[in-house]
Amino acid sequence: MSDSLINSLSAMLGNDNVSIESGCLVLGVSKPLVVVLPQNIEQVSEVMRFASRESLAVIPRGSGTKMGLGNNPDRADLILCTEKLDAVVEHAASDLTATAECGITLDKLQDVLKEQNQFLPIDPSHGYKTTLGGIIATNDSGSLRLRYGTARELLIGLRVVRADGSLFKGGSKVVKNVSGYDLPKLYVGSLGTLGIIVEATFRLYPIPEYSRTYLASFVSADKCQETVISIMNSNLVLASLDFFNSSVLKSIAKSTELDLNSNGYSLAVRVMSVERAVKDQISQVKEICSKNGGRGVLLGDKEEERFWLGLRKFEGGSDGSGRALCKAGVLIEDVAKVFNSVERLHEVKTYAGAKAGNGIVNILIEGEDETLLESVTHLRNFCDSVGGYLVVQRAPEEIKTKIDVWGNIGSGTALMKRLKSNLDPMNLLNPGRFI
Amino acid sequence: MSSQQKTKSPTWKREFERKLVHILGADGVISYEDELIAYDSDALTGYRVKPIFVVLPKTSKEVSNVIKLCYEEGIPYVPRGAGTGLSGGALPTEEGIVISLTRMNKILEVDIPNQRVVVEPGVVNIWVTNAVSANDYYYAPDPSSQIVCTIGGNVAENSGGVHCLKYGVTTNHVLGVEIVLPDGEIIELGGKTLDNPGYDLLGLIVGSEGLLGIVTKVTLRIVKRPESIKTLLASFDKIEQAGASVSGITARGVIPAGMEIMDGLCLKSVEEVVGAGYPVNAGAILLVELDGPTAEVNAETPIVMEVLRQNNALEVKVAKDDKERNLFWKGRKSAFPVMGRISPDYYVQDGVIPRSKLAKVLEEIKGLSKKYGLKVANVFHAGDGNLHPLVLYDASNEGETGKALELAGDILKVCVDSGGSITGEHGVGYDKKRFLSLMFNEEDLDTMNLIRCTFDYKGLCNPGKVFPTPRTCVEPGTKSYREHPIQKAGLGDMY
Repeated sequence: MSDSLINSLSAMLGNDNVSIESGCLVLGVSKPLVVVLPQNIEQVSEVMRFASRESLAVIPRGSGTKMGLGNNPDRADLILCTEKLDAVVEHAASDLTATAECGITLDKLQDVLKEQNQFLPIDPSHGYKTTLGGIIATNDSGSLRLRYGTARELLIGLRVVRADGSLFKGGSKVVKNVSGYDLPKLYVGSLGTLGIIVEATFRLYPIPEYSRTYLASFVSADKCQETVISIMNSNLVLASLDFFNSSVLKSIAKSTELDLNSNGYSLAVRVMSVERAVKDQISQVKEICSKNGGRGVLLGDKEEERFWLGLRKFEGGSDGSGRALCKAGVLIEDVAKVFNSVERLHEVKTYAGAKAGNGIVNILIEGEDETLLESVTHLRNFCDSVGGYLVVQRAPEEIKTKIDVWGNIGSGTALMKRLKSNLDPMNLLNPGRFI
Repeated sequence: MSSQQKTKSPTWKREFERKLVHILGADGVISYEDELIAYDSDALTGYRVKPIFVVLPKTSKEVSNVIKLCYEEGIPYVPRGAGTGLSGGALPTEEGIVISLTRMNKILEVDIPNQRVVVEPGVVNIWVTNAVSANDYYYAPDPSSQIVCTIGGNVAENSGGVHCLKYGVTTNHVLGVEIVLPDGEIIELGGKTLDNPGYDLLGLIVGSEGLLGIVTKVTLRIVKRPESIKTLLASFDKIEQAGASVSGITARGVIPAGMEIMDGLCLKSVEEVVGAGYPVNAGAILLVELDGPTAEVNAETPIVMEVLRQNNALEVKVAKDDKERNLFWKGRKSAFPVMGRISPDYYVQDGVIPRSKLAKVLEEIKGLSKKYGLKVANVFHAGDGNLHPLVLYDASNEGETGKALELAGDILKVCVDSGGSITGEHGVGYDKKRFLSLMFNEEDLDTMNLIRCTFDYKGLCNPGKVFPTPRTCVEPGTKSYREHPIQKAGLGDMY
């Protein structure tokens, strides 16, 4: 980018808020990029107006934990970093809602909400530093989604700066609202391609009084699956129902220094409620598990917290050569089939963990580039064959260029492309990365 | 009449009918004046427009062919389910047709282990629950009209109900749709799996009030019945005490399945007609339903009781069995129709406020009622702040209808001023489009219009609804977006 453009940006935002980064490996961009740090929403608009005028491709970034998601962008000039937009605008505790700027980290927001014994029940990977905007843009979620849903269910209003710099809002600050199109839903998972999300309003929940996790191991994935189906078909109300292969559990055991039985396949069942109801339901869970030969341990207060945090950190993973992180979506009944398919892969080390009640399976594969590609293709074919999908979330650049990371998006693709070109006619926002 | 039709030959209507009959067969096209009258409004009967034809397709393909024909000939069309909508969303368009989905009423698949049901849009809401209740499952969104209203209509309006505080509204239970786009293309969005890659167009379509296409197949999530249900009926001197109890209950960390308030006027009328066991001398009642694992319900009950006592509840009744519980709810669900017994006419308003503003808003509604000299009965989904003030009037008194509508409009302004919304579940439709700009500014509306144009650039799909002023779209491919000088200069946008 020319010096005069950089000077214009510095004049707009101040010298301290414009810097040069020598490329971004995760994005597959080797040329230097200009990083801008708008201090407020108005400046985000100004930057986008400027980018539109100068035809600059803009890559939005929160804390940068998920920059590797999607295809490598076709073009990149500016990285628009939202980290300075970190104010809590309003915590309306008696309405169980909160509004915050999107550069705030989830942890910082949770600290504020905790003062009123409330929380935003989203527990994505990279817990401590992921931003609200990043969570929305990637629809990142964690184990609590079984009970509370993802950002899709919890986001009720937002403000967005469009590619041309105009600022609009969608939704509202009340939990029930059907006026106008449901724009918050459109922006969940839109990967920064339809606008820069600058402010969001979420519905909140009271922090449950009591929580326990029962961790049981089984001899086979199929035994785990039978247990999942029994639990899902019971009256139990669970917070989480996670399904792991042994390497995931070993890895968590190691990082958390918890003494976990990591043989075979495991289920982690979490119940959050009043104490009596938790204890009552945990004993029912134990019973169902033991019917299928599951043997387990009850994780106490502190251990439980360490365990789930350990899982989130593990799921965040790390980039690097020789590893591909995939996310598969299948029917609840087919989760074990994905595990069995993972088990049959050759010459790779695999880690598989599922949100079993949601049919979401996260798979990390380690191996040589060529075997990685083969493994990913094999798994995708399997998922497609059972009516599911597989998205490659992170992978070495060589792999990304050889496989469509998103897979078959379906018959809505043309319409999605039209939508992208109507909202971002110059294709400035994350071009080529998603739709 | 649109310009396209003005230039049509005098016989075009007959030719058009012939083409429709060719697609649907003679029994799939209604053209007799007497029969068309039945389709001239939905449940908001204040507005009436007679369609030129009503078509009754049986398959997605037929819907697609009808839409393709309309697309070629420039004929507007309005989708319609059971016609129970309260905002005029299914009001026909002048010189347009109505596409009624009531013949597409099959439950296509019940998949208990994966907790999914696939239905056609004309399936009635309660049929879904009936189809899965033997397995102890149900379909959670339960609008008061659930024994008549269709899933297609629920999807269009993003319908709520009395249990959405805990279980969410329609959009939280719709996982996939097949939709016929306004150019006739049939696409599928979402499905039985979650987090499908691509933009969440499904989320846009739910609640789009039939403006983005016609949904021809819907994949729903079903929910396991709770182990225990406990319904409490508390009475108060003042409605404010009931309101304070609602905030008090959530502040204690309890999220009931539903919380409903009725004011004195409303509950007296309901009790006279239904005999639900409501205390007629109370100023207000609050219904609280707790559900979930027995141990949880048992632990939460005393907490709720304590909050009710702290707010000076006069009496708290706990439904002793399913029969009494159903009676409590029957009273609530009859609130609208019962108004017909105490007033010649009534208008149902639908606004949302932050829960915490309840007392203030009720006071303001009282003031408006006095100002206009018309009674307002209040019934609402108190847990989520969704108010349904019922404005009572007599249309035979000259000018009273206008006064009632004005009062109802003023109530919406109060809702928006307190940080709320102009509609929680009934939709904007035809009735409230003039109020949409209370909530959204030009840029907000521009964005929504860009989305509408992406789907329906000819503006034929349920036109004249939701948006306050009609906007046109630029036909895709006719101009290069990048080179438009106004846009390049940052001075404006195209649609």
